[in-house]
Amino acid sequence: MKLKTVLILAALLLAAPMFAQEEPPPPEPTPEELQGKIDAATETLTETKNIVDLLSKLKITGYIQAQYVNDEASQNELGGATGTRNRDQFSIRRGRVKFTYQFSPTSKFVIQPDITTSGVVLKDGYVEFTEPWTTWHHTLTAGQFNWPFGFEIMYSSSQREVPERSRVFRTLFPGERDRGVMLSGVGLGEHFTYRVAVVNGTGTARTDDLNKRKDLVGRVGYSFGALDVGASAYRGSDLIATSTRAAGIEFDKERQGIDVQWITPVPGLGLRGEYITGKQAPASGTTRTQSFDVRGWYFYAIQNIGTKHQFVVRVDEYDPDTNTDNNAVRTINPTYIFHWDANSKVMASYELIRNQVSDPDDNVFTLRYQYSF
Amino acid sequence: MKKLIAAALAALALPLFAAKPVTIKGSDTMVIMNARLAEAFMAKNPGTFIQVTGGGSGVGIAALINGTTDIAAASRPIKTSETDKLKQRFATTGYAFPIARDGLSVYLHASNPVKELTLAQIRSIYTGEVTNWKDVGGKDAPIVLYSRENSSGTYTYFKDNVLLGRDYSPRAQTLQGTAAVVNAVSKDPNGIGYGGAAYAKGIKDAAVKKDDRTPGVLPSLETVRNGSYPISRYLYLYTRTKPAKEMKTFLDWAIGPEGQEIVTKVGYFPVK
Repeated sequence: MKLKTVLILAALLLAAPMFAQEEPPPPEPTPEELQGKIDAATETLTETKNIVDLLSKLKITGYIQAQYVNDEASQNELGGATGTRNRDQFSIRRGRVKFTYQFSPTSKFVIQPDITTSGVVLKDGYVEFTEPWTTWHHTLTAGQFNWPFGFEIMYSSSQREVPERSRVFRTLFPGERDRGVMLSGVGLGEHFTYRVAVVNGTGTARTDDLNKRKDLVGRVGYSFGALDVGASAYRGSDLIATSTRAAGIEFDKERQGIDVQWITPVPGLGLRGEYITGKQAPASGTTRTQSFDVRGWYFYAIQNIGTKHQFVVRVDEYDPDTNTDNNAVRTINPTYIFHWDANSKVMASYELIRNQVSDPDDNVFTLRYQYSF
Repeated sequence: MKKLIAAALAALALPLFAAKPVTIKGSDTMVIMNARLAEAFMAKNPGTFIQVTGGGSGVGIAALINGTTDIAAASRPIKTSETDKLKQRFATTGYAFPIARDGLSVYLHASNPVKELTLAQIRSIYTGEVTNWKDVGGKDAPIVLYSRENSSGTYTYFKDNVLLGRDYSPRAQTLQGTAAVVNAVSKDPNGIGYGGAAYAKGIKDAAVKKDDRTPGVLPSLETVRNGSYPISRYLYLYTRTKPAKEMKTFLDWAIGPEGQEIVTKVGYFPVK
């Protein structure tokens, strides 16, 4: 009985709308009302477009390199004067996010922090002005940027085919960047490039510049298509405290180098090389009065197999004092890279490090996964 | 049972032996032409599969650089910076195949009394210096600009060759694809747009004058071929490596008489 009542009530409720009095249709909108709606929609669309246009001028790119390193020189040791000596570990080698805001083709803002387990460090931070009047598009850059020297410094770590730069660059250009102003341009049918900069000369390890003198560095390059060549020079000085003068004396800081990149006729095979000589200041507290004469070079052979596989061998050498025998360090660095997709790649690399007189246990194996966007 | 297992194994193994498609990605201007070429080639060569997608010339070349397409379609020449990336990633300078010529039309609404424009006038309109049709011989009405997104090769070509590198007016409305530009202009009596001649349906082309002294020229096979139409360009297919196998067969065919006939039917102009 109860069920029947419930069913009847439910049926009545469902049917109720069918018997409800039909509402009269809404009046047709007038042309003025329609125009008003169109104007309102157009205004909203314009505002949205303005916001989207502004946002599209901001470009965010970046990459992260997660890796495991196995170093033959690693030892279990807690604390001590040198801190931990274990280097066998998982780490984030680089975590870069690059923000580029370009309001017009003539000006650009770039800032790129490196966010890793060691902290946050500013890598790039500069403004650019590009003149629109000539086909050279001369560009003035001011801030913190890569030293315009050679090829390997300016070649991104996300693109490089081995885990680290060659020893000569890690020693002579630590951090690869400095603060100053740079003028650059492209001409002669985009075959010729030049970059010349005035910089502090202290790199980015310090926040200040120790000496009043500024350093000059530059590179000119020419592209013949499959063959690119460049010549670079650096002239400056380092203020170093000596054993006799704590306030420091100026030591020559000079480098000159040539670089070559060649796309060989062998499909997928590229070769690169660079040779550098110069003068490098000694460490603080030195008894010397003159810089060391230094020399270094590297050579890459990169073989692409299809779109996924790259086999690489780099050989590099650095001699920290060419007037002393048997002190150069040579590294042979075979590497395999698997490009998983457009964004990610896996790199396996082994560094065989040899002194001229001995081969200590200091080889390094790196397994790295990189994702870029 | 044995037969069933054998059939299941064969079905599972089939994808391993299936032909890998040749992928073409890039220019939206070229996407219809490339699709027609691919359809005709696949019909003639059963077993081959060519996949065509758009996205813009810049997107296609980026895909060539990161290895996610076999062929990039571009309505502009590859830039030096893009060639440098190809060199660094794949140790190649790339291979360019001009596949068609295109006259870049300037679209006007069918009711617009303006019939011809000089290159300087088009430049002034698109950079925002001229904002009213009466300043270029038309009625007293604001000019509504329709343009393409900046990943488009058409956008880049027009900017480099018509605007001479100057910036587009911020009032220009950005639309995705030439078809969208044509559609917008066809509905807007005050609109102006630009794009491939092959798309110019339902609107009228402006006759373009090199300067005040020369006559206005409409885009056509003859005027694009003989160079009298001032805004014409090559359309390219780019590959990373020297083409081989299906890719070579396809490109040879596309540049040959049969392919060029399709190019002409779509509304572009043959390269030879």
